Amino acid sequence: MRRLPAGLAAVALLAVTATACGSSSSDDSGSSSDGVTTVKVGVIPIVDVAPVYLGVKQGFYKKRGLDLTLETSQGGAAIVPGVVSGQFEFGFSNTTSLMVARSRNVPVKAVANGVASTGKAGADFGGVVVKGDSPVKSPKDLAGKKVAVNTLKNIGDTSVRESVRKAGGDPKSVQFVELAFDQMPAALAAGQVDAAWVVEPSLSVAEEQGARVVASNFVDVSPDLTIALYFTSDKLAQQDPELVKKFAEATRESLAYAGSHPDEVREILATYTKIPEKTLQALTLPRWPEEPDRASLERLGELGRQDGLFDEAPDLDTLLP
Amino acid sequence: MTRAAVNGGPSDVRRRGAGRGNALLGLAGLCGFLALIEALPRLGFVSPDHLPPTSSIAAALAEETSDAAFWTALGDTLTGWALGLLIATAAGITAGMVISIVPYLREATASTVEFLRPIPSVALIPLAVLLFGTDLRSTLLLVVYAAFWQVLVQVLYGVQDTDPVAEETARSYGLGTWARIRHVLWPTALPYVMTGVRLAAAVSLVLAITAELVIGAPGLGARIAVAQTSHAVPDMYALVAVTGLIGVLINAGARAVERRSLAWHQSVRGEVSP
Repeated sequence: MRRLPAGLAAVALLAVTATACGSSSSDDSGSSSDGVTTVKVGVIPIVDVAPVYLGVKQGFYKKRGLDLTLETSQGGAAIVPGVVSGQFEFGFSNTTSLMVARSRNVPVKAVANGVASTGKAGADFGGVVVKGDSPVKSPKDLAGKKVAVNTLKNIGDTSVRESVRKAGGDPKSVQFVELAFDQMPAALAAGQVDAAWVVEPSLSVAEEQGARVVASNFVDVSPDLTIALYFTSDKLAQQDPELVKKFAEATRESLAYAGSHPDEVREILATYTKIPEKTLQALTLPRWPEEPDRASLERLGELGRQDGLFDEAPDLDTLLP
Repeated sequence: MTRAAVNGGPSDVRRRGAGRGNALLGLAGLCGFLALIEALPRLGFVSPDHLPPTSSIAAALAEETSDAAFWTALGDTLTGWALGLLIATAAGITAGMVISIVPYLREATASTVEFLRPIPSVALIPLAVLLFGTDLRSTLLLVVYAAFWQVLVQVLYGVQDTDPVAEETARSYGLGTWARIRHVLWPTALPYVMTGVRLAAAVSLVLAITAELVIGAPGLGARIAVAQTSHAVPDMYALVAVTGLIGVLINAGARAVERRSLAWHQSVRGEVSP
């Protein structure tokens, strides 16, 4: 969901080389005698991964013999190579990043659903915001404007272009600049950018500071858009299908639990983030369906191809579980 | 009777008095800075949403220090810093001595050293993650890489500074390699080495925090990153202030070590003999 720098290709190459050379560090998951397997999951400490934290707390992983350690890193840049080289058994990444990785032959495979759009325009957990007094009234007006996204050539610019396209504007004329989500409210207030694509909690913070949502770009791609997935390496998927199956089951249970217990989600957020109480209560939670939505991913792949992220839309059969 | 007393009290008193005066001035500067941070958001020059006043940063700091996780993070950062500095110093001194002593090695390695030295440690982040994931070892890789060159280069300069007469004298008295290192090269190089270690100590801290911030290895940096993405702005500044404080302490400590180990050297004695 966060930064996956352009260096992905280089990293991927390194990762492939490392695995091809039989990296010695890929057997971290140790089965102890009592049948408990220690599993490392690379996550980003953001709202999206709350279900896994809840699942650990509720014992959904433990009862399947998985002792989960959540390793927080600052973005896909650290998670993808971490998973491919076997430092982590599983990782969390946004769908477009995984498609880009897959199209460059990085051996990643989704194992469970991650997070999805709420599907409600104007009430999603991510959206494009402008200053309260901005002349931009609809996504169409974003044409020719400077829009901040957290990572260029990723799900942000692809989906914002789709919003502009759907509203009848010229998607090619939108200028994208790269900025971290947490800096966007300030950049918007200072007028450094005309609009910003933000996700929670930055969305709530921007709104508190007077920003206005003009587009729900996820919803414009597909109301059921699957935004992120949990994934593993091809190697682990082949070597230990039993482990992958257990993780997938426990994650599915966690996703369902999070979906039906929003108050506990807000509570658990206070343990691994530092989101201030006021924002915590105000923020819009995403949806956590148990399965990825294939149709939405096909659409996202098609948009990625149109925007030149990859030459042909990736084969979802190799990517999805 | 102590030497200071024999050496004439007045100058000593004067020096100590100046030290106290400097400390007072430093304190006044700090207070002024804190007052400025308090005033800027209150007077509306910047939004308190983006730069909270000193008082709310202090409140956040107080809250941090009552959290056990904060102390764990502080311990993680200091462990990464200390281990990294230790490894870099040992490796830097050893490599520097070997390169200086073995004939032609210095010439043979010069271009390689100059090639590797300017590579920013941060550029190694993908490699660190690939090899070690997000744990302490990733932090160490970055810290050691950055700090190593600081020490190595100073050792090289230090050894080069050896008085050729002293070196020749040692040779003609039949001192072996080890004895020459011990009695001629090392004392000459020591002031340089100490400068290198002091620089490396600061660089190590910067890199330890950076690694945690960017990779997410456990420590204060990772805590800053979480505060940042969570929009806990006062918290973030409180943690940044803590890293600044550690920096001040490390620098003061490094200077003390430097003074102590070079007590015999004229740069510290402050008296020119002739």
